[in-house]
Amino acid sequence: MASGLLPEFFALLGIDLFLMLSLLTCLLDDRVPKAIPYIYQIAALVGYGHILVSKDFFTVFGEYMRFWYCFIYLLVSLANIVAVNIYFAAVKKQWTLAKVWSGAVSFPTILISIFFVSNYSYLQGVPFPLLLQIALVVAAIIMGTSVAIFLSPGALRNKFKEE
Amino acid sequence: MNLKAIPFKRSAKLLALLLTSMLIATVSAITYLQLTMSSTVAVYKSNVYFVIGSDDGTKGLTVTLDGTNTTATLTGLRAYPNASFTYSDPVKVRNNATAIPNPQIRLAPDVNPSANPEDFVYVKFLLNATAVGDRRWLNYTSNGSTWSNTGTTAWVTIPFSTQWSIAVITKATAGASENHSVTITIKVDVD
Repeated sequence: MASGLLPEFFALLGIDLFLMLSLLTCLLDDRVPKAIPYIYQIAALVGYGHILVSKDFFTVFGEYMRFWYCFIYLLVSLANIVAVNIYFAAVKKQWTLAKVWSGAVSFPTILISIFFVSNYSYLQGVPFPLLLQIALVVAAIIMGTSVAIFLSPGALRNKFKEE
Repeated sequence: MNLKAIPFKRSAKLLALLLTSMLIATVSAITYLQLTMSSTVAVYKSNVYFVIGSDDGTKGLTVTLDGTNTTATLTGLRAYPNASFTYSDPVKVRNNATAIPNPQIRLAPDVNPSANPEDFVYVKFLLNATAVGDRRWLNYTSNGSTWSNTGTTAWVTIPFSTQWSIAVITKATAGASENHSVTITIKVDVD
């Protein structure tokens, strides 16, 4: 295999996302159920179990199978990030927080994940279509600029005061 | 969010979660690193192997190959007193690849002979490449009391889908005793 990412990298990324979620939900524990940070810690431990299983059955499981169970784990962690985003927006009706979460957590994590998945697929000889790559870069630039403009600390302070 | 406003209980909870998070992240990263450092080595069929030559079954020679064609045993090679005797094609070495990169091969001594130096003048091995300049000699000579050899040959590139014979030339001393024999083991190194 070309020197690059192993499929387990996606599990590692998923673990880090769950841990980040755990810490963020702990900071926002007056807005989310108390057990949520601990559940995310357990989810991160499950991801560690994924890597351990891969390590012990490295030769038994093919790369195809290892990729899919690690990738699904990453998808689950991303789905949780988006779910928290939706929870703030739809259930708690905290639009400013939902917007901040979207710009500072959801979008960057999804973009980073897509970057690594595209890198992995490129190394495996299945590159993303050029149009999709360009669209992702454009989306990243637009979103990054929007976050910088609309989520400036001053603007956010005023918004939070209003809510 | 004003971090100073976070009550102690919440800070302790956050600290505990932070510590466990660091632990989980570190252990996972180390395990992943161990995974990247481990490597799998699979056995593949070699493209370079021996092929029985046309001299097999003639001049008393019997050539046998192992299951993978990577070891050739030549038995019944003859040496005549005071006369050079040549097996021009007892065994071949073949590069069965169908494309470059082409491997390099060379002849190298493996187990040096010790028996009956008084009965032999030489046993020579010639890697009979198509181009004269690519031919390689590995010669075992006897001074009557000990054997010596010319050492490992220089590398030579064997093109794909090509086979070269390894010729054997023998010569016994004028007063050699009949049925005395010597065993020589050589290697064909592949790079």
